[in-house]
Amino acid sequence: MSIELSCKLSKYAHIFEDLKAEDIMTKQVSTLTADKKISQAKEMMKIKKISGIPIVNDENKLIGIISIEDIIKALETGEMEEKIEKIMTKEVISLKKEDNLPSIIQKFEMYKFGRFPVVDEKNFLCGILTKVDILHKILDKFNLIYLHDKKRNSILNQDLSLITGEKLDIKKAEFKHQIDTTDISRAGEGAAILKSFLINKGIDSEIARKVGIAVYEAETNVVIHSKGEGEILCFIKKDKIIVRVIDNGIGIENLDQAMKEGFSTAPDYIRELGFGAGMGIPNMKRFADKLVILSEKNSGTQVEFVFFLKDK
Amino acid sequence: MKIKDILNEMKLEVLNIGKDSEIRGGYSSDLLSNVMANAKEGDIWITVQKHMNIIAVAQLKKIPAILIANGGTLSEEVLKKAKEEGITILSSKEGTFELSGKLYNLLIKNQAL
Repeated sequence: MSIELSCKLSKYAHIFEDLKAEDIMTKQVSTLTADKKISQAKEMMKIKKISGIPIVNDENKLIGIISIEDIIKALETGEMEEKIEKIMTKEVISLKKEDNLPSIIQKFEMYKFGRFPVVDEKNFLCGILTKVDILHKILDKFNLIYLHDKKRNSILNQDLSLITGEKLDIKKAEFKHQIDTTDISRAGEGAAILKSFLINKGIDSEIARKVGIAVYEAETNVVIHSKGEGEILCFIKKDKIIVRVIDNGIGIENLDQAMKEGFSTAPDYIRELGFGAGMGIPNMKRFADKLVILSEKNSGTQVEFVFFLKDK
Repeated sequence: MKIKDILNEMKLEVLNIGKDSEIRGGYSSDLLSNVMANAKEGDIWITVQKHMNIIAVAQLKKIPAILIANGGTLSEEVLKKAKEEGITILSSKEGTFELSGKLYNLLIKNQAL
């Protein structure tokens, strides 16, 4: 269990690495001194709805902790009017202010306590840390990431054509198609739908056919090679059609080679299906009026086509 | 030459009958990108490929008929798609070479008349 959780956490370690116990803990702590009666501790728990109270000396140094379980025991043995000192746990497992999230979680898993007092290097009590505090802090962190993502998306959604520099509002693309990369036999479906879409829009069928062929090649490349997810976007402008086929996959390592007719990295089983002839990109070049491919290893690929509409 | 005229001249199994389009020529290849690049509208396409992509290729290239060489049949799913797109699917036990030769004679002879 603990190994599993640590593993899960390690994936996100970089997000939380700057998070310390003092950032997570609750600073307002209800405390008692050891000379108070156990019944007082019980009252405090009831009123404040808490399940454990750190016990401190006059200097606010941590000397013990009393939990709801201790109170129950005292109730059973009729010791409620005794001093807290008598039943409190004296060897307190506490957290240091500087402890990071993985070590905090490790402690929660190791001891199964619901809360840990947080102390400084001189054992002065600074706060208390519960599982709920951790949950809140993690959610705060995700909230931040989400906001950051939203901002980034709004910038990403306002894009310029790689070829003509025209503004493209990704959100308002006339045509959007999510490429199904799980099923090779369906590769090319998006291109076919796009072609019909363009014909329905009254685009010249010869141009629609060229779009279909070029996009077919880009689409099958995404399915066969990218190992990621991809999308087809189409923008109909007054004098041209701009199509983008983008994926977040492994990218193209050597574009010069990929452009060459006959060069292919397709595995044999793909070739048996009639793909991987090394004609994908050459075909795109042949059927599009303009073509730009942006790719980097492990950073996905963006293909942009421009097809000029003929003057009527 | 119409598809049904070809069917009168050659013994072919019909897996799906689409629109009765005019066949102007033919193209033989199993490489999809090669077909994409070189087949012409109105061609009958001879191939051994049987998977879904052949329909997408035929549709994009306005290929009205696909002739499956070396026999065999297509999956229900592929045939259904062919039906939707109105693409004729034919099949024959003969190989690509024989089928291409026969169709060449038939179509070229037909054009010459």
